[in-house]
Amino acid sequence: MTATAQPSRIRVQPSFVRYQYETAYDEMFSAPGVPREHYQALHRTLLGMPQEELLKRQQAADLTFLHEGITFTVYGSKEGTEKIFPNDLVPRIIPSIEWAKIEKGLTQRLTALNMFLRDIYHEGRILSEGLIPRELVYSCKHFRGEMRGLNVPRDTYVSICGTDLVRLPDGSFAVLEDNLRVPSGVSYMLANRKVLKRVFPTMFRDYGVWPVDHYPQALLATLRSLTPENCQYRQDPTTILLTPGVSNSAYFEHTFLAQQMGIELVEGRDLLVHDNVVYMRTTAGLRRVDVIYRRVDDDFLDPLCFRPDSILGVPGLFNAYRAGNVTLANAIGTGVADDKAVYAYVPEIIKFYLNEEAILPNVPTFLMTNGKHRNHVLQNLEKMVVKAVGESGGYGMLIGPHSTAQQREEFRARVLAEPRNYIAQPTLSLSCAPCLIDGEVESRHIDLRPYILMGEKVTLVPGGLTRVALRKGSLVVNSSQGGGSKDTWVLREGNGEDRVAKITSFERKAG
Amino acid sequence: MAYSVRHITRFRYEPAVRESVMEVRLQPRTDMRQRCLSFSLDVTPRANIMVYRDFFGNAVHHFDIPGQHEVVEVAAQAIVEVLPPTPSLATYACDWEELDERVAEGDYWEMLLPSHFARPTELLEKLRAELKLRRQGNPLELLQELNTELYESFEYAPNTTKVDSPIDDALEARRGVCQDFAHIMIALVRQLKIPCRYVSGYLYHEDKVKDRSPAGATHAWVEAYLGEMGWVAFDPTNNLPGCERHIRVAVGRDYADVPPTRGVYKGEAASELSVLVSVAPIDAPEPEELPPVMVIRSKPLNSASSLALDHQQQQQQQQ
Amino acid sequence: MLSRVADSLYWMSRYLERAEHTARLVDVELQLWLDQSPETGAGRWRFLLEGLHAPGAKGAVDAAKLMNALVFSRTNASSIVSCIATARENLRHVREQCSSEMWEQLNRLYLDVMQTNPDEAWMLKSHGFFRAVQEGAHLFQGITDATMSHGEGWQYIQLGRYVERTDTLASLMEAHFKRNAQPADQVVESAEYLEWVALLRSCLAFEAYCKAYTAEIRPLRVAEFLILTPEFPHSVRFSVDRINAALHVIGDLTERREKSPTRIAGRLRAQLSFSQIEEIMGQGPHSYLENVRSECAAIHSAIHEIYFDYPIESEMAS
Repeated sequence: MTATAQPSRIRVQPSFVRYQYETAYDEMFSAPGVPREHYQALHRTLLGMPQEELLKRQQAADLTFLHEGITFTVYGSKEGTEKIFPNDLVPRIIPSIEWAKIEKGLTQRLTALNMFLRDIYHEGRILSEGLIPRELVYSCKHFRGEMRGLNVPRDTYVSICGTDLVRLPDGSFAVLEDNLRVPSGVSYMLANRKVLKRVFPTMFRDYGVWPVDHYPQALLATLRSLTPENCQYRQDPTTILLTPGVSNSAYFEHTFLAQQMGIELVEGRDLLVHDNVVYMRTTAGLRRVDVIYRRVDDDFLDPLCFRPDSILGVPGLFNAYRAGNVTLANAIGTGVADDKAVYAYVPEIIKFYLNEEAILPNVPTFLMTNGKHRNHVLQNLEKMVVKAVGESGGYGMLIGPHSTAQQREEFRARVLAEPRNYIAQPTLSLSCAPCLIDGEVESRHIDLRPYILMGEKVTLVPGGLTRVALRKGSLVVNSSQGGGSKDTWVLREGNGEDRVAKITSFERKAG
Repeated sequence: MAYSVRHITRFRYEPAVRESVMEVRLQPRTDMRQRCLSFSLDVTPRANIMVYRDFFGNAVHHFDIPGQHEVVEVAAQAIVEVLPPTPSLATYACDWEELDERVAEGDYWEMLLPSHFARPTELLEKLRAELKLRRQGNPLELLQELNTELYESFEYAPNTTKVDSPIDDALEARRGVCQDFAHIMIALVRQLKIPCRYVSGYLYHEDKVKDRSPAGATHAWVEAYLGEMGWVAFDPTNNLPGCERHIRVAVGRDYADVPPTRGVYKGEAASELSVLVSVAPIDAPEPEELPPVMVIRSKPLNSASSLALDHQQQQQQQQ
Repeated sequence: MLSRVADSLYWMSRYLERAEHTARLVDVELQLWLDQSPETGAGRWRFLLEGLHAPGAKGAVDAAKLMNALVFSRTNASSIVSCIATARENLRHVREQCSSEMWEQLNRLYLDVMQTNPDEAWMLKSHGFFRAVQEGAHLFQGITDATMSHGEGWQYIQLGRYVERTDTLASLMEAHFKRNAQPADQVVESAEYLEWVALLRSCLAFEAYCKAYTAEIRPLRVAEFLILTPEFPHSVRFSVDRINAALHVIGDLTERREKSPTRIAGRLRAQLSFSQIEEIMGQGPHSYLENVRSECAAIHSAIHEIYFDYPIESEMAS
């Protein structure tokens, strides 16, 4: 750097002084101060960019989110319902070899789960052969007896899935949980990418990142491949997105996706069923509906069949579904496969249907219905994470190391009262990644949620949502509980090392 | 014994409603114990009636009426032959071990797990303790005893509970109607780890027999799975075993699975439900007077999307 | 498109037009009021309320309270702030229909208006506020025209705006004619002059009028300008023409050409195209404008019946 005319102005670079190295795997550093190959360019960029500049870019990103209304709802917050989605500017980078394994593992997993669902709603081989206790499946509140014997297009129950992965201290990936009902967050993934391309355009281009922007097209193709049996125009099924409405925490995502896919965004009250056919009320009259991408929970879909007090659903929808006149994506009753107690059996499920070992392992899980496990867990609550099986979004969860004695007592009582409803896992050290906190780079825990689509074929968008536990030391990454997100860059080739030389020289010039 | 069954349900709405969607479970079952020889269903106003078979094997008819209407009338007519029970139950040896084995081998979990109405509560526990109900002797005799004990411990009192009342209401007051009796028995029997299910149907009231449950209404009782004997029926309301006078329409985990009629409509309306049931042996002469009509009135509840109207009302305002 | 969505776009547009119109009116009246004595000033407010078809105030009018009711009150659904909030709420429910620029603009207008704090001195410097509301609304319209496809959704926005405009213009003029002398084809002086200029300014029409008729204000010509001129955007004729245009396009897009909204609107348009101002004044402007308003209401109901809230059985039959 050349001497400036105003020596009193000091350009401050963000440093890594506050960066903490933990026992957890660090995405960026292989040893303190030593960035991994694929992170070197990013490291250099961060060091080379004035703090002021970074803050400005962060503000610009925030403004984009604000003006586009990329918000979500935080339950239990007193400040009103909509909050801007917290995002962190520093991308998370994944080399292509690592991604290849993730892709294979998730494809295998989703295929097996679909076969599982088909089986338990038909012959139930896996149950009669004793691999999974019948009681476990039937006592799951998401198991829907109404789905028994019902055939769905392509035998695909889960066509849209978001699976949460964590990276263990040894660097390998494991599956934390599947989300097979109404997985959300994909719009944040797309928004993050949009923002990052504006904030670090040269670095982005030089790194060579796989695009994710085709997700809406892939999603639409997936939905359209699920034409119902009795569709009038098989080549052109009328597809809609069913949303609970503006007050739903993921509403932004619903509008975003509907817009990107070019399909109608519909609420329950716009639909009606007549003679087992679903119609929507348009200004040109009633129009038949064939495929519904539904972002409404099973329970609220049909007041005739499920919760009678639901105003979000359509009376008679399930009968139309049963008659093969409409497709619901995801199918009803998929929650039994993402129940946390069933999760423990997924490696066996993969083995049973595909005769393969699971490529991506589970995190060790204790079922509270197992006496020995239960005792062990209750004696070691401070070291365990206890989760309610049917919940999501980080609710109904006890994080041992961060809990109070009273919270542990409460959970103990709950587990003893309803063991079927709880599982426990040893506290995991989620991997850490660099985040920009108040102008300095600090490490925070993250996970990864890739999105998998299953229609005519399985499609994975390279990357997904990297969720960040924004509070220092926290392990809770869910947006509804104060988490944030980052853009995820899956590199096109190698691990970016061949790009490093180019980037280095470029940055120096800019310096 | 062959019966002719007539079941007319009329819904009256004030003011008119629209977009009614309704499901009915009125077609008597055909299985080893009875045969439905004929069944017809008429709906006013005219609607296209569709049918499917649910996973309990019940025939479910359904239809929708899109336009404005003030009355929906569903008239079912059936001829059912109830077969005499196969060899008397007494000939079966039945013990707990054999029962448990069969249950473990088969798929009876749905009838063992708690369901919407038939679930354990503190009051149920109290009753269980009172009756000293636990596994002993042989299952059949135990249940026969329970059947009688419930009949004796509970008063039959119509209009003290509602169609969606939890069992605690009846347990508290020690009275209820056949639906409550059935739910309580099911919950207790399941606690003994005996699969038990709810049966909705009709009871033919012969003049000479004094049944507690009234003629002119549908009836509910239970069936318990007792191994080799299969599903054995008990009627705790009337202290009867299942017999030729019981006509089975639908089975399920509890009432929530098999209401005779269930519907949803759009509009804020008070509704009045009238039910007329008549059961007679097919060779009986025409009765001189029709059985009484049961009438139930209700204020507007959460009819599906009264919100639809609300929304229009509240959102926009003319100058 | 979905009936519910069309309904929301229509109402969003109506409410925004209402907010803008109210802002214009109050701004003009406020300027006049500042110029006058307290006695005549009080009377002005009553005229204002009549012009807005708002519930009348009894006895002495507290200007500050009135301002509050007309501009800020959340309990008055037609106050400027309420209208903008409702417009935004409607748009929020159908955000996928509009461009992000449209949403940003309406949201910005909403935030600005919500953050305005009316203190005692506010009334005297409120001109800026009213200006901002009008500009915000105009900007929104411009952005809508530039960034939204002129498809069915856009047509409902036009429809809402012009149905509202027809109604408010007719109301305003009806109130005006009621309290002022029958317009004659003569040049007026002083006090009366101010009244007619105020009317023109309320419709953003002063300069356009002068261009068409010279700066001599002839009440009869003012009436003609505001009711019958086909070219000026704030005339009844222009608004009804636009209603017709929108209904025709909508009718084509939904293949419901021969329906009642189009018929009623066509009838009203014909009436306006063939009327002459002398006839209207002879017949009595009051009844003429009343008729315009009731036809407008009929169009509004018909639109709901045919496009938004039709009974299903008629659809099933076809």
